[in-house]
Amino acid sequence: MKKIVYILMLCANLLLAFSAKDLKLLKEDGDCPKCDLSYANLSGMDLTMSDFTDANLSHADLTNTLAHKADFSRADLSYAIFEKSNIKGAKFNDATLKNVNFFEARIWKGDFSNANIDKCNFDESALGSAIFKNNNLTNSTFKGTILYKTIYKKGVVGIPKN
Amino acid sequence: MKKTLFLILFGILLQASGLQFEHNYKIALQKAKKQNKEVMMMYSASWCPECNYMKDIVFKNSKVSRYLQKHFILLGLDIQKDKLPKGFDYVGIPTFFFIGNGAKQIGKIIGGDKASRFLKKLKAIK
Repeated sequence: MKKIVYILMLCANLLLAFSAKDLKLLKEDGDCPKCDLSYANLSGMDLTMSDFTDANLSHADLTNTLAHKADFSRADLSYAIFEKSNIKGAKFNDATLKNVNFFEARIWKGDFSNANIDKCNFDESALGSAIFKNNNLTNSTFKGTILYKTIYKKGVVGIPKN
Repeated sequence: MKKTLFLILFGILLQASGLQFEHNYKIALQKAKKQNKEVMMMYSASWCPECNYMKDIVFKNSKVSRYLQKHFILLGLDIQKDKLPKGFDYVGIPTFFFIGNGAKQIGKIIGGDKASRFLKKLKAIK
């Protein structure tokens, strides 16, 4: 019985956890394109200008991270947590942003062009001068969000009122 | 009567026009000493949206504006024109340095914020 539980736990771990090799790469290089960082705990890290293009960051914890101009283009960020993060000028082009928590995140000049945004929490965040293009924002929340000079290009549905 | 009304309106307009920023570090310190206040030194740039948000929105908030006027001499330095005085460093703009007696840094706020949160941070400093 113990053996079965152990095997099941091992399988669950293999299914859910990030690649330890990829996390090591991120810590050494500061970049991790195409990496598997799902469920990784990156909270409080300095990820300034890091490259996460095409990476899997679903369920990753990026609470309180500093990630100025980080590139999350085409990354899967489903259920990721960016609470209180400073992600000024970050790129989310063509990224999957489902159920992402951006509460109190500072995303000045962030670029969300062509991102698949669904049920995201942007409450109390700062989206000043951020760019939205071809996004559906109807299912996301923007309570108390700074929308100062936020740019809405073509194809944006559900522009928040502030 | 007309004159009084004009003066009242002029006063209101002056208040609404925004806060007065000093642009010389030494003069700001001297003024602060004379008026028994601290200096809030804002390091910013005209091209920075977060800085402009602070100037256009937050500093025009009556509570923030009143608090700043009451407690601080305001000093505005531009990243493209002015070097930070010795002993001060920054990682990004806007950065707000709070300077007390003897030109000592007594606090620092990195980044802009909504009026209510910025006021809370100000109150934590003074």
